Amino acid sequence: MRNWLNTAALLLFTLVLVPAASAAPDAAACLGCHGSMEGAVNVNQEKFSKSVHGSFDCVTCHMTLKGAQHQGLSGAKPDKAIQELATAISSKSKIDPVAQAACATCHPDVYEAYKASVHGQNVMVKKSSDGPVCTSCHGSPHYIQPKASKESAVNHFNVVQTCGVCHEEKIMSEKYGFSPQVMERYKESFHGRKLRLGQSGAPACPDCHGAHDIKSPKDPASPVAGLNKIATCGKCHSGATPKFVAAITHQAPDPVAHFTEIALIILTVSVFLFICLHVLLDIYADIRDRLLRKGGKHE
Amino acid sequence: MSNNTIPAEIERFDLSARIQHVIMFTTFLLLAFTGWGLKYAYQDPASAWIRFWGGAKSAGIIHRVAGITMLLDFIYHQFYLINQARKGGMRLSLVPMPKDVVDAFHNFMYFFGFRKEKPYFGKFNYMQKFDYWAVYWGMFIIGASGFFLAFPVTVSSLFPVSTLQWIWDVIFIMHSDEALLAIVFILIFHFYNEHLRSEVFPMNWMWLTGKMTTEELKRHHPAEYDYLFGEKKNK
Repeated sequence: MRNWLNTAALLLFTLVLVPAASAAPDAAACLGCHGSMEGAVNVNQEKFSKSVHGSFDCVTCHMTLKGAQHQGLSGAKPDKAIQELATAISSKSKIDPVAQAACATCHPDVYEAYKASVHGQNVMVKKSSDGPVCTSCHGSPHYIQPKASKESAVNHFNVVQTCGVCHEEKIMSEKYGFSPQVMERYKESFHGRKLRLGQSGAPACPDCHGAHDIKSPKDPASPVAGLNKIATCGKCHSGATPKFVAAITHQAPDPVAHFTEIALIILTVSVFLFICLHVLLDIYADIRDRLLRKGGKHE
Repeated sequence: MSNNTIPAEIERFDLSARIQHVIMFTTFLLLAFTGWGLKYAYQDPASAWIRFWGGAKSAGIIHRVAGITMLLDFIYHQFYLINQARKGGMRLSLVPMPKDVVDAFHNFMYFFGFRKEKPYFGKFNYMQKFDYWAVYWGMFIIGASGFFLAFPVTVSSLFPVSTLQWIWDVIFIMHSDEALLAIVFILIFHFYNEHLRSEVFPMNWMWLTGKMTTEELKRHHPAEYDYLFGEKKNK
């Protein structure tokens, strides 16, 4: 029954979608199997068709396919950029590194920026298994949504969470020397709170740090390195000065701030306890007096 | 007791004071409502609550306008006090005195039943003085820090370099924690005393009329009653 349905869907898709003569097999052919397979090789047909890449043939990215079941199915020969990236990420990408590197074909500018970035350098030069590739942030390429979509992992309101996947990890902060509290401190800041409340003008991580071309803050080219912050903060806070831009470090609070907070919490709690006690005693005395004075003049 | 010379009620708050109070509590509520959404941004109803105020941007504008209005109200109050003093009507009846500590002690004794009578309160008892001066504490801590937070670029030039590592955290904590203290204080202490107490429920109408009956004055502020009407009675 299921196979019959799949075949019907396949036939329909063939009729609707496929332009006249294409040498490569179309997505529907692949989805005939992969739409109903379990595990990592499954592709959700509905979600795929709604993604920005939903009109692609699978072999646009999956250029080289392995295994007898795929015999005769393949796309164009991967170009140099793809091979370069595929080799670099082969230890990270077990299933199909070429497909994971194929983004570079259509997004060459982004690829160049990424290659020079701290993330790209970590992946391609240091061959680290930590560094993010395209899909680490953008999610599965089968389901990529436009950035403006609420479902996009890199949407202005989702991207902080996406960065947090790695940057919230203590192990990562120790290994790469960023503040272990970077996410926490951002989230409790005015920027983080306003973003959370839906203010589109509130900056998320990439608004200050950059995205594909992201640099380590220790890199003098980073928009948040040293006095570069004056221009970066100045995008919203016109007239930013060196003293002003010193405000945000994402570091753990200074002891002065920490103890101020403790002192103020003690003050708040003591006042709270005192007034609660006072009110309760007042109520008690009021009731007592009324009971004792029963029959007497009522106030 | 020469009843003829004693009026049925006396004025405790003139029109200006009543208007100052209305401005104060209106702006206070606006500040509390909008600020609450930001303080608890990560607790679930916050987003819906902030949408009610027109989104984060609009809530921020309301918060700033209300804050500046409150600050102006507070400044106006200082001129009002100066004017009172100039007219010779200033009696320092709101200044905390050692007697307030004694009164508080006596009041607790009364709560526990160790004393039969309420303390010999003056024009303003220690709770009312507490209420009044809490505004000064609030204006100083929350008002100043709020002003700094509203104009961070300008204000940052005033701070010495050595404080830059912690000053904004301190200002942020001051603003947020003391605002919570102010809200808790008003919600429990002020609301109980002026709204929920069986005698005044649902509210003490003095905020509109400014008047208190002489009966009430005699019961709650006997020292003031004696001061005004010259009856020295035994405690």
